[in-house]
Amino acid sequence: MLPMRPELLKGHLDALLLAVLEPGPQHGYAVIESLRSGSDGTLDLPTGTVYPALHRLERAGLIASDWQTVGGRRRRAYHLTPAGHIALSEQRALWDQFSTAVTTLLKRRTWPATA
Amino acid sequence: MASDRLATSTGTRPKDALATYLSDLAAQLRGPRRRREAILTELRDGLEQATQDRIATGLPPDRAASAAITQFGSPCAVADAFAGELTTAYARRTIACFIATGPLVGIWWLLLLNPSPWRTGLIAFVAAIPVIPLIITAIAAAGGTLATTGRLMRWLPETGPALALAATIAIATLCMIIDLTMITMIMVSGAPTRPLMIMACAASLTRIACSITTMRHANLMQSLMI
Repeated sequence: MLPMRPELLKGHLDALLLAVLEPGPQHGYAVIESLRSGSDGTLDLPTGTVYPALHRLERAGLIASDWQTVGGRRRRAYHLTPAGHIALSEQRALWDQFSTAVTTLLKRRTWPATA
Repeated sequence: MASDRLATSTGTRPKDALATYLSDLAAQLRGPRRRREAILTELRDGLEQATQDRIATGLPPDRAASAAITQFGSPCAVADAFAGELTTAYARRTIACFIATGPLVGIWWLLLLNPSPWRTGLIAFVAAIPVIPLIITAIAAAGGTLATTGRLMRWLPETGPALALAATIAIATLCMIIDLTMITMIMVSGAPTRPLMIMACAASLTRIACSITTMRHANLMQSLMI
């Protein structure tokens, strides 16, 4: 399967990151791995896409981060804020609406001829 | 580039390879020092985790480190990816400083000029302190930029890094014009020198120096973004 280009995810990356963080806190590299494993390798996003996007979500108040020490290393773990949970619900509803519309339009079928 | 160089160097110790990569990256990041340090600490953890994951799958440590570095991308690409966030962080921090220190400058001028808008009326008040419209413009620009690059960007249109930087330069320029106008005004008025006048002028001169430094930094960041 071809890896998806980051530009194709424009507008949906925020929702994907929020969804990955929904079950619990994760650090940046774990988020990248969750995106890859959760999409069977389709969403193999580069570091340069994911880390700055996490920082932007934190700036928007949708996620927050805590510094921990794990195995002698300082690690930044991100978690959803209450606003992030609300935003994720809204994004899910939008995506359902959008994907239903696009799937309907992309289905192979015979279009009625116009006069 | 470091990732290419390191990907081919099989004899390098993993810790050294990661340190070289992070050192190359550190040299290319531009923005507030604490934010840069936080980014490097975060990426160091990610790289070490990625290396460990690959060692766990059976790769030798040196190749595991090279593969992790390749996955993360060249220092140049990673620095470019963080440029927007670092620029926004710089703009927000600088604008917050101008907002926080504004009253420290303004209070001396208010004590010195002692305007009484409730007695003389608004027009006379603006005539006494002609920079009032500029102050309102600077506060509006600062508040708007902070709001649309922070939590309010969930509801308001987000201000991008380039525009946030342009707003920072505009606010610094406005502050400089305000301070120069006030100093010139008091100098040409021929008013006798008083301790309050010295304090007001000193506060404005300090802010002029800060504004010039800000404009220099911001212009440098702007030129690197193009």
